Amino acid sequence: MSVGEVDVLVGVPTYNNAKTIGQTVQAIRVGLLKYFPRERAVIVNADGGSKDTTREVVAAASINDLQRSSDLYSLRTLPCISTVYANSPATEVALRTTLAAAELLRAKACAIVSPESTNIAPDWIEHLLRPVYRDDFDLITPVYRRHKFDGLLLRNLIYPMTRALYAKRIREPYAVEFAFSGRFCSHLLEMQIWDQEAGGIGTEMRMSVTAIAGGFRLYQSFLGTKPHLDRTSADLVTAMRQTVGTLFWSLEPNFQYWSAKHETEAVPTSGSECDLSVEPIRVNRKRLYELFRSGVAELEPVLKSILSAQTLADVQTIAKLPEDNFKYPHELWVKTAYEFAASYYKSVISRDHIIQALAPLYRGKVFTFLMENRDASANDVEANVEALCVTFERLKPYLLDLWNARE
Amino acid sequence: MILTQDPLWYKDAIIYQVHVRTFRDSNGDGIGDFRGLAEKLDYLQELGITALWLMPFFPSPLRDDGYDISDYRSVHPSYGTLDDFKSFLTAAHERGIRVIVEMVLNHTSDQHPWFQESRSSRDNPRRDWYVWSDTDDRYHGVRIIFLDTETSNWARDPISNSYYWHRFFSHQPDLNYDNPAVREEMWSVMQFWLEIGVDGFRLDAVPYLVEREGTSCENLPETHAVLKELRSKLDQHFPGKMLLAEANQWPADLRPYFANGDEFHMAFHFPLMPRMFMGVKLEDRKPIIDILQQTPAIPDSSQWCLFLRNHDELTLEMVTDIERDYMYDSYAGEKAMRLNLGIRRRLAPLLDNDRRRVELMTGMLMSLPGTPIIYYGDEIGMGDNIHLGDRNGVRTPMQWDGGWNAGFSSADPESLYSPLILDPVYGYPAVNVYSQKRAGHSLLAWMERIIKTRKSNQVFGRGSIEFLHPANYRVLAYVRQLKTETVLVVNNLSSSAQAVELDLRRYKGNILVEMFGRNIFPRVGDLPYLLTMGPYQFFWFRLRRI
Repeated sequence: MSVGEVDVLVGVPTYNNAKTIGQTVQAIRVGLLKYFPRERAVIVNADGGSKDTTREVVAAASINDLQRSSDLYSLRTLPCISTVYANSPATEVALRTTLAAAELLRAKACAIVSPESTNIAPDWIEHLLRPVYRDDFDLITPVYRRHKFDGLLLRNLIYPMTRALYAKRIREPYAVEFAFSGRFCSHLLEMQIWDQEAGGIGTEMRMSVTAIAGGFRLYQSFLGTKPHLDRTSADLVTAMRQTVGTLFWSLEPNFQYWSAKHETEAVPTSGSECDLSVEPIRVNRKRLYELFRSGVAELEPVLKSILSAQTLADVQTIAKLPEDNFKYPHELWVKTAYEFAASYYKSVISRDHIIQALAPLYRGKVFTFLMENRDASANDVEANVEALCVTFERLKPYLLDLWNARE
Repeated sequence: MILTQDPLWYKDAIIYQVHVRTFRDSNGDGIGDFRGLAEKLDYLQELGITALWLMPFFPSPLRDDGYDISDYRSVHPSYGTLDDFKSFLTAAHERGIRVIVEMVLNHTSDQHPWFQESRSSRDNPRRDWYVWSDTDDRYHGVRIIFLDTETSNWARDPISNSYYWHRFFSHQPDLNYDNPAVREEMWSVMQFWLEIGVDGFRLDAVPYLVEREGTSCENLPETHAVLKELRSKLDQHFPGKMLLAEANQWPADLRPYFANGDEFHMAFHFPLMPRMFMGVKLEDRKPIIDILQQTPAIPDSSQWCLFLRNHDELTLEMVTDIERDYMYDSYAGEKAMRLNLGIRRRLAPLLDNDRRRVELMTGMLMSLPGTPIIYYGDEIGMGDNIHLGDRNGVRTPMQWDGGWNAGFSSADPESLYSPLILDPVYGYPAVNVYSQKRAGHSLLAWMERIIKTRKSNQVFGRGSIEFLHPANYRVLAYVRQLKTETVLVVNNLSSSAQAVELDLRRYKGNILVEMFGRNIFPRVGDLPYLLTMGPYQFFWFRLRRI
């Protein structure tokens, strides 16, 4: 389709999202019409070969006229390009396809929106694109209103560790909604990260780290409520590969950057930097406790090759605690995470096995988090997370010692 | 030359809008006149136009450039005499040029004897010829049209100690069309001119004839009843004459002015015009297609009038707020360019004096469905003077040559009715008829050619239109059809070269004959028809099956 040069581009990666994609595309259209009425805009749908009616729904949502009003009227044609990328469906491939389209169309500002964000509002488009298009930032990551027990991996590991090591307080370093500038897009494509180890997965995490280490301008935009998605146990390992594995992997090529950083910096943010809701959601705490204990026992030979003797002993000690008294202290957890990171760097065993081995220990930490914050207010939860972050920052020299010792 | 007797002559017409005051001064008083206009009829005939629309030339205090009439049955002495007009009319007809006269029905000058009588006393027989009120509360909420100068639609008259209604300037009181005597008199006025031989009227400000409480006082059924009455009398006594409505309304609100072919013959398509400018600036066909797809079908005997510019500001009344802001930012960067809800600039300056864009816009004017109107001076790319008051900056003297007063007048330059355009780009030494007549590549020469090409085929004035929707939205393409005649028009709205693939499968087997050079383009097959176009280029193709 001959779209030509555009000012803003919104990408929506899909694979079998027929149930939700219609409202997503409509919300994007409304957002573009309302907040960027004069700009040359395009919607790019990179589809992984959906077996359902996803592509038809996308086309129908794009063609349907919105009710005409002075708020919604578009001066320009708003094209929607739907393309099926080669190879099996994968987020990274969809993202690379979108980045390539953005560069081809010389887009100044690009946003990526998840097809599963059922609560997407048109103003998300403005919150994501405005900092890039009008204020010249390079990477916009979102801030969501989350339930206090949502985003556990993020709160207990990814956020505090990324913050401590890379010295930027990015709440969602691996978001599914984000925005970037044309120049950052070109930079990513030039880096050829897609063919490297861990470049095939965890791309969103890679982007954040690349932006930080590359000196690009970062911004955070508050988008609203993040719908809670139920995840299975198998999902956890996959998620950890994409996030923790990517984070660990990034430490080697970016060593010079993060090793020199000592003070963390806030990232400019619009709206609340942290917004927690306290409505109850179901979490199977008992199962977490049991999986932790069984994991520690069953994986002892593996853990011996990853953890220091002291740390392993401390972990085995808490594994013997009864459920009511169980606690995985911040300091022990941070040491655990840093020792895993150092072992990953040295590849003491298969890196994928290292990530898998971390999963049960993570579950123990999450159990502690849930118990400690069971009746906590939103402010108390945030204070707890902040305390964990401070511990990661304080023990950063510990990781550096491990790293240098492994050298 | 004999005028055609085709009752639908206006569908094939090429109309030229001119104010007699601006065109040519024959007696050296600095003001254009009918004898001067008559001198220039050969020029107009060579240009190829077939009808002249004359702006008001009646006696007037000229506080609104003649739209404030003080005598409907005469000619302003500055422009000549009634006999001068008749001579001009005869000469125009001899050259195959019809003459459309502007008739201001809605209001008169406050200097008109009718109003002088009406205001003199509440008992005067003409009291009820205008719309009076003891208070200014009536018709509350009705919009003010001349926003820059008026704060109310009511003006207080100290003589009769009451208020009178005026939709335009306060010195232009509205006539009361609820009074049969007013309706009868205005028909009598029109009859006067028809008997002299004029070919039609452009009726000014027709939506506002009748007022009713609790309404917008625009487009009322009672107004349409008045207009239908006029049309009925016209058809009965003067068949073949034409009525053209000036009604600045959305297409759906314009439709009633055609009724069932028994009200106006023609109406200006006001909403299309700004969207043509928008489409070129945005490099996107959407604004043009949107408004034309919203345009309702009209009776077979009716016709839209299309224009790019005229004597008024480029009106932005019939656009959304977003569109208006965009137009102001794009075309009227300086505040002095803006007036009321519009832009007071001429065609060439609006288009940055870009010859390609002037041609593209003119090409669309000539090929979209309707009768085109050329504003005097735009055929040579005249400029404007935004520092003159009101709309006077687009009403400067016609530029005939690079000599004394641009060949407009032999008077002292200081006595001209308006200063000439003098800047180095648009000034008369650079832009004038004489120079362009000598250059085969000039804009004037090109205008003559496109008018001739347009007149070569009735499909443009009488045919249907169907839009094509190629993926490249920078290209506006449509098919005009009339019986067996098919013309494909393709316009590149973009400042850069474009490739476009057109789905012409239904015309498979036809060859395309480009209408200006008459060269043959490849035959239409099963595959999308590929065209590559330069910046702002357009094509007119006749489809022929050979």
